[in-house]
Amino acid sequence: MDTRRRKEGMAMRQLNMVQALNEALDIILNTDPYSLLLGEDIGRDGGVFRVTDGLLQKYGKERVIDTPLNELGIVGTAIGMAAYGLRPIAEIQFQDFIFPAFDQIVNQAAKIRYRSGGKFNAPVIIRAPYGGGIKGGLYHSQSGESYFVHTPGLYVLTPSNPYDAKGLLLAAHKLNDPVIFLEPKRLYRSIKSDVPEGEYTIPVGKAKKLREGDKITIITYGSMVPTVLNVVDKNNLDADVMDLITLLPMDLDSIISSVKKTGRVVIVHEAPRTLGVGAEISALISERAIEYLYAPIFRVTGFDTPFPYANEEHYLPDEDRILKYVRKSLEY
Amino acid sequence: MGSNGGGTLKFLNRFDENELLNAYRVAVYSRTLDDRIINAQRQGIIGFHTPSAGHEIPQVAMGMLLEKDDIVINYYRDLTLLLFRGVPVENLLDHFLANSEDFSHGRNMPDHYNFREYGFYSVQSPVAMHLPFAVGAAYAKVMKKENGIVLSNTGDGGTSTGDFHAALNFASVWKMPIMFVIENNGYAISLPTSEQTKAPIEKKGEAYGIPGISFDGNDIFSALEGFIKAFEYVRTQRSPILVEARIYRMGPHSTSDDPKKYRKDEIVPGSSDDPLVKFKEKLKSLGILNEEFDNEIKKWATEDIERKLEERMKIPPPSKETIIYDVYENPTWIQEEERREWL
Ligand SMILES: Cc1ncc(C[n+]2csc(CCOP(=O)(O)OP(=O)(O)O)c2C)c(N)n1
Ligand SMILES: [Mg+2]
Repeated sequence: MDTRRRKEGMAMRQLNMVQALNEALDIILNTDPYSLLLGEDIGRDGGVFRVTDGLLQKYGKERVIDTPLNELGIVGTAIGMAAYGLRPIAEIQFQDFIFPAFDQIVNQAAKIRYRSGGKFNAPVIIRAPYGGGIKGGLYHSQSGESYFVHTPGLYVLTPSNPYDAKGLLLAAHKLNDPVIFLEPKRLYRSIKSDVPEGEYTIPVGKAKKLREGDKITIITYGSMVPTVLNVVDKNNLDADVMDLITLLPMDLDSIISSVKKTGRVVIVHEAPRTLGVGAEISALISERAIEYLYAPIFRVTGFDTPFPYANEEHYLPDEDRILKYVRKSLEY
Repeated sequence: MGSNGGGTLKFLNRFDENELLNAYRVAVYSRTLDDRIINAQRQGIIGFHTPSAGHEIPQVAMGMLLEKDDIVINYYRDLTLLLFRGVPVENLLDHFLANSEDFSHGRNMPDHYNFREYGFYSVQSPVAMHLPFAVGAAYAKVMKKENGIVLSNTGDGGTSTGDFHAALNFASVWKMPIMFVIENNGYAISLPTSEQTKAPIEKKGEAYGIPGISFDGNDIFSALEGFIKAFEYVRTQRSPILVEARIYRMGPHSTSDDPKKYRKDEIVPGSSDDPLVKFKEKLKSLGILNEEFDNEIKKWATEDIERKLEERMKIPPPSKETIIYDVYENPTWIQEEERREWL
């Protein structure tokens, strides 16, 4: 359940995702004296995508830290802060550059609670813009969610619109375990939605059904959500559209109950197909609902190649590719 | 086993006879425990060990200078320091045995300690990964306006990692009250320090704006003198320092290692070069210790460890479902389902 109360006087504004995330960070810094932000160019510059704009001026440089250029340092120090009582939110400028910090995330943050028998935990949020669509080429476009979804001990979250982005970041801040918070940069400014002022949270671990239908289930998340909705709306498809929002742990119950109703599944994501999130969804469905299926489970994904600069609109699953597999499933 | 003070401060204007004697007792106890664990590994009682033989002197010196509020973020070869800060031998044995009394339910390999109550962090395997973490811990201390400093130890091999360099740079840029200690025991498994780096370890902080200090860590007074300066610097300047304690790893890297393949032992345990023997001789020459008392200490250590080991060996292993807990604050449906389907 969303905790948002539609109280009289709780103003709604049309905001983009950057503004919505900025508001969430502002609320966290304002209400939690132990919270702080760190990352490259997040202070003076307000972040290369402007998500932290104005926060240095408001909260000072002890709590909005422009760090040296070193991802393992950013994440490694953030984990130490978290284990000793702070609530750090680290920004990785592009998810493509998170890999120097991979060891810190996988071997330190994700394992602290387990190896210390619960004496330490690391409530750190690692925000990272991800995905293509901004002409970023190989190193400003990757969707690396699978690396993290494969790591027990982490939460992996990704919003697909401004409203969810704000509420999800506020929800992440309440978790006492490490969170990889993936922000679909293609959607940073391309869509606006109603965003209430003040605090509300989006539940972690719950998918959202964005369209209700009986004939097919389309499962997606993050930056592919608007494209999938376009396909469904333009073609009047009788489809359940599920926005996962939480990639680890996935909302199994919602997936399975939708699949049992429709018997047909298409999974759409930007990341390469092999061992992508779609592979796990497909396995979960075949273990639990294979007898309900009328057609094979199809995945529409980025290609199993590095991310190209010139042809990115063809690399990303487009409406035609999605529709092709939806029809293939429906006609099977 | 903390120091008990009293008497006059005869040594380095700082320590009395009892404190030196206590340090010696901890060092002897640590060596005895090390030897017993190596034996227990050969007997198949304990799975693995990275002995601290040769590391005792700098570790008791650090112990003597640490204060209650200081956090220690150490590595796997700091057994003596754990003993010095009061970790009960029973708890150490439970950890080595990975039994059901172990704080982490036997999840960790031996030497990957978890003693938060005694001012330590939790030890991981990836070398030097805890150094940036330690800088973050210092940041938390500063922001929460807590007393004390952070001490973070690692080996000479650790100085080649990116983690080490990132940690030094962040500590310097943020001006954190942290002491990085390199326990340079001459080897990283088989690689001699001369091939680990061509620069003196104590100089490695300079490019980051961090002063360095290096001393003979086989000698108790030179170790104490060095650490007194280093602690004073961090406590008064609230800035980082890099410390190199030059020592010698007297045993194998671990119970799985055979150093005969790559080196000739330069210091043989029990010989006159053994830093523990040198410590004893020094205390004897100062009139603080005699052979008889030394024998008593060693007998007490051996018997105490034997008795406690026998007692802790009776404790059953952790229940198998402890595998599932502590992944998250609350298990997700995934761990819950795996547990249900398994048990
Ligand atoms: C990142 C990483 N690489 C390799 C290893 C395997 N390994 C464990 S200890 C060690 C040598 C460490 O030497 P040093 O830092 O000098 O510490 P010492 O063991 O000598 O005390 C190696 C290579 C590891 N644990 N972590
Ligand atoms: Mg070494």
